[in-house]
Parts: sequence; C-alpha cells; structure tokens
Amino acid sequence: MEQNLLVEKLSLQAESFQEGFETLIKCSSLDEIIKNFWHLLRGNFIVTNIHILHKLSFGAEWKFVTSKTVDENFDQSLLLDHQEQLSVKYLTSENYNSVVVLPLSDSSYLGIMIGKKLDGSDLTDFDKITLQILLQVFSSAYDSFLNQKKEKQLIFELNEKILQLNNLIDADIELSRYDKVNVLFDLAIERVVSLTNASSALIKIANLEDESVEKQITFPNKLDPEIVIKSPHKIEFTFDFNNKQYLFVLSEKETRKGVTSFSDLDKLLLQAISRQVQASIENEFLLGQSLEKERIEKELNLAADIQQRIIPKELPKIDGYEVAGINIPSKEVGGDYYDCIDLGDGKYALVIADVAGKGISAALLVNTLNASLYSYLEFNLPLTDLADKLNKLIFNSSPSDKYITFFIAVLNSKTGDLDIVNAGHNPIFLVRNNGDLEEIEAGGIGLGMLDFGIPYDGKKLTIEIGEKLFLYTDGIPEAMNINEEEFSDERMIQFLKNNSNKSPKDFISTIVDDVKKHVGAAQQSDDITSLFIKRIK
Amino acid sequence: MSTDFNIISEIHNNTLVMRTEGYINNVAGEKISEEFTKNFVSGINKVVMDLGKSKVVNSIGISYLIDIIEKLNEHNSKLIFTNLDPTIEKTFNIMGIFQFAQKADSVEAALK
Repeated sequence: MEQNLLVEKLSLQAESFQEGFETLIKCSSLDEIIKNFWHLLRGNFIVTNIHILHKLSFGAEWKFVTSKTVDENFDQSLLLDHQEQLSVKYLTSENYNSVVVLPLSDSSYLGIMIGKKLDGSDLTDFDKITLQILLQVFSSAYDSFLNQKKEKQLIFELNEKILQLNNLIDADIELSRYDKVNVLFDLAIERVVSLTNASSALIKIANLEDESVEKQITFPNKLDPEIVIKSPHKIEFTFDFNNKQYLFVLSEKETRKGVTSFSDLDKLLLQAISRQVQASIENEFLLGQSLEKERIEKELNLAADIQQRIIPKELPKIDGYEVAGINIPSKEVGGDYYDCIDLGDGKYALVIADVAGKGISAALLVNTLNASLYSYLEFNLPLTDLADKLNKLIFNSSPSDKYITFFIAVLNSKTGDLDIVNAGHNPIFLVRNNGDLEEIEAGGIGLGMLDFGIPYDGKKLTIEIGEKLFLYTDGIPEAMNINEEEFSDERMIQFLKNNSNKSPKDFISTIVDDVKKHVGAAQQSDDITSLFIKRIK
Repeated sequence: MSTDFNIISEIHNNTLVMRTEGYINNVAGEKISEEFTKNFVSGINKVVMDLGKSKVVNSIGISYLIDIIEKLNEHNSKLIFTNLDPTIEKTFNIMGIFQFAQKADSVEAALK
C-alpha cells in the first residue's frame, strides 16, 4: 500500500520532472544549469539550505556555485571522503540531511549538501527517490549540454576549415594581381597569419652573395624581427630567386589555452602562400624583362628608321662616272653611313662613316654627322679643316665611348682630282688601271675620339679613266660565320682584284653575295656598307 | 607575445560602442571580452563593435566575439559590427556570425 502510494505520488511528479529537465537543457552554461537545478531542488525539498559545489576532476578543489558566502554550519569535510562513482549519504548530522557526490560525464564532479528539513524530520523514502530522479535529470541535462557544446565546436571547426580554404583561394587570387605588387608582402603576411592563427610573422629578404638584409616585414608592424626568429615555436619556408633569399617565418600559434605547435596543415598553408608570392615575384620579373625587350625593340626600330632616313635612296648621276652604294643594316642597328653629295660645279663629296657602338645613340650620332657635314660643306672649307670641325662637334656632343670613323673624298668629276681625308677609317682602295691597289690610309683619329687639336692629314690623288674607288665599312672584312671566322681583309682585297672590272652595281651586288655566302647561317653582326665609283670617261 | 591592440568603449543612451584597433587574436579577444564584461551594465540593449581599424582577425579572436554574441542573445540584446574590412566581412559570413549578429556601414548608422 505504501509502495502504491509512493508510485502514485511519483507519477504526479513526473510532469514536473519533465519540466525541470526541459528547463535545464535550455541553459547555456554549467553555472546556469546548476543554479536552475538548485531551484528545482528547493522546489522539491523544504529544507534549511542547499549548497551545490563543483570540481573539475577527482583531485581538484571544490568550488561553490550556488552561493559565495559560506554559512557557519558548512562542513566541507563531508565532501572529501568519496569514491569516483555516485555517492549519496543520508546523514544524521545536526545540519545536513544528505550529501551527494555526482560524477559527471566530463570527469568533473557535482557536490550537493542538503540541509535539515524545516520540520526537523529526516528525508522520507519519497524524498530519497525524488532526489535520485533529480540527480538523473541533472546528469542527463548536463550530458545534453556537453553534446550541444561539442556540436557547436565541431561546426566551428568545420567553418574554420572552410574559411581557411576560402581565404587561401582569395589570397592566391589577390597575390597574383599585378596591381598588388607594391603591397605583396604586407598582404601575404596578413593572410598567412590569419590562416594559421600565428601571433606574429616575418618576411626577410636577403642578398644571397653577402647575406646582407634588404628588407624585413613583420606582423604586427614595428615588431622586432629577432623576436620572431628566436621564437622556440615557429615554422619557416624559404625560396631563392634572382640572387635573393626570401624567408617566411610564423611564430607562436595561438589557442585560447595558450601557445601550441604548428600543424602539418599550417606548414602547407605557409608553403602555399609563399609559393604564390614567389610566382608573383617571378611574374613581375618576367614582365619587366618583356617590357624591357619591347622597349629595346622599339628603340632599335626607331634607330633603324633614323638611319634609313639619311642613307640616300638614290645616288646622283655623275657625268663620266658610274656609282653604286649599299647599306644593309644588321639586326641590331649599327651606325654606318654613306653618301654621295652634289657640291655643285661638277664636284661631289663621297662619304663613308661608321659609328662605334649600336642602337639609338649611334643612330643619333650619325644623324648629327650627316646634318653637320651638309652644313660645313656649304662653306667650301678645306677638308682638313672640315674634319677638324666635325671632330670638335662630335667630341662635344657624344659620350666618351662614342666616335666615328670617317672618310671623305671630294671628287672633281671633270679632272678626276680627289681631295681626301681619312679620319680613322679602314684603308680605302683606289684600283689603278695596272691592277695595283693603292691604299688610302688614315690621316688622323676617328671623329670625336679626342680633341687635342691634332691636325688631320689630307691627301690628293687623281682617279684616271677606268680606275675605281672602293669605299667600305668593317662590316665586310669582319663579317663572321658560325665558326667565328672573319671574311677577312685578304679575301676582300682578293675579291676586289678579281671583280673590279664589273660595273659598280654588279660589283656591289656580287661582293654582298660573297659576304653572305661566307656568313651562312650566322647572324649578321654589323652593318654592311659600301660605295663603289668607277670613272668611265 | 605583445601586440599593438587597443580598444575604446563609450555608452550612447542604451548602446555600448566598442572600437578596436589592431590584430584581433587571442590576446585581443581577451581584452575585448574584459572590456565588454566591464561595460555591459544593466540598461544596455545594444552593442556596436567598430572594427574599422582592425584588418586582420584569426579564428581565436572570432571565438571570443561569438562568446559575446551568445551572452548578448541570453539578454535579448543585439550586436552590430560596423566598418568591416571586406576580408573580415567575408570571414564572418563563412563563420555564420551574421546569423546571430548584424552589420552596418558605420557607427552612426548602427546607432539609429
């Protein structure tokens, strides 16, 4: 009967136990669960006091949860002697009816001290069963709380992984953008710190040859790089490019509990970001090279354009003479120049010149020579004076490493008289009717080489009917084949001897063919320029 | 590890405004949490967090912000983030923070 009454009473309590459980599982912290449980106990037991304590592990100290102040009757020793399993002691002490130690599923413990009933009686069987049920309710509610916490943690970790992947993709895209080159290292360091939860980071760029440090970027800013380098908890990645070493260091990986070791994933993330930085640096370098190549090509095209403007398209017809000339620029624009200038009154200036060096500066210098030559020729100066003036002009308007080898012969077409100055140029050949080759050597240094006032030596000769004058630049005798063998002066002279009876046009055409045959597949290294004049009457 | 993180708080009517500066990591997260606990007094029903001077946040820092969001939800209060760096905004989106908090372009907009 008594048992039936008990069951009936407990059945009536079932709904309140259920409500109590639902209240407890809505709590968001252990403290909140315990406080609500205290209210639950208070609602079921009319007692003097109820204390609830908690400890994190079997050997830890108990801590009050339900009150901060300890009443004078509190006796913690009642909680000291317990085993690892559930312990419920019903006491006959003056102050407490029961002491409970409830082990929880996370290895922590709940301690409950239930005071005396207000009417002074002991706990009844119903009270004891109610207590057991309430302990079960608490245990289940706490398990539910822990599961929710684990679930939240799992979701957080999953989102963190998704975030890492997303950030890695975003970082790769950003780091590869050319407009981000100036902030490349700042961007990379921020991204990798965020991805790996590092406290600090360093990017150090050093010269490989002398190990001097060119740049150091830290995160946070203004951090002493030595702090990162000397950290006992760090990971590194290094790559070399273009004679520099790039060192990436991450230090002090954080958790909420303190510093921990970097994982293999962190090492992979660091490597991925560093590799992307490497790719960006290489791309910037290649782009620079490509732009430089483009610039050089533009410059060479411009130089070639300048040069071609001053090379005569058509030579003047000289009564009693045949004249032919050619200029074949090399791939890298040279500074060769030739001309046949009508000075009036049957006089013609036969000119050939070669600027030391290549490119636009050489082309501009030839342009200067051409313009100033035309100007000075109008003054009808003696050629030695002309050469002197040109020398000063070129010396003052060109860099120290630039000069021009120059040959000029003013031909009086009526008499065949030649007034000649050879300023540092190759010896020019006058082919005599008896087959002899008369060499016209240099009578002074190249234009622009020095300005010590050393006068030029002139020479006067006469070209007779049937004789020929062969002007050329060193692009002919110095033309090289793939075995680096030159066409040579000897071969050129022999060719001249064998072919000088040809018309100037044919001679030019044939010598060029012979040079090209010698050069073969090798690239033409210098301009090929020649002027050939034959007196026919 | 020392950081150059700073946080300033002020109260406008029933709103607590917190402004951060610097890397939001473990240390910064603790400071934010302390500052919040110190200033979240009765009557406050809205918290505005200006992250305009914070360009980098890691997952530890985010966990502290989530703790604050949860505490605010318990009190039916709301958290509004302002002046978010696009990278941080994207991070918060992925971490699901905007399911429980809001964002605004500026502190002034959040205070309205």
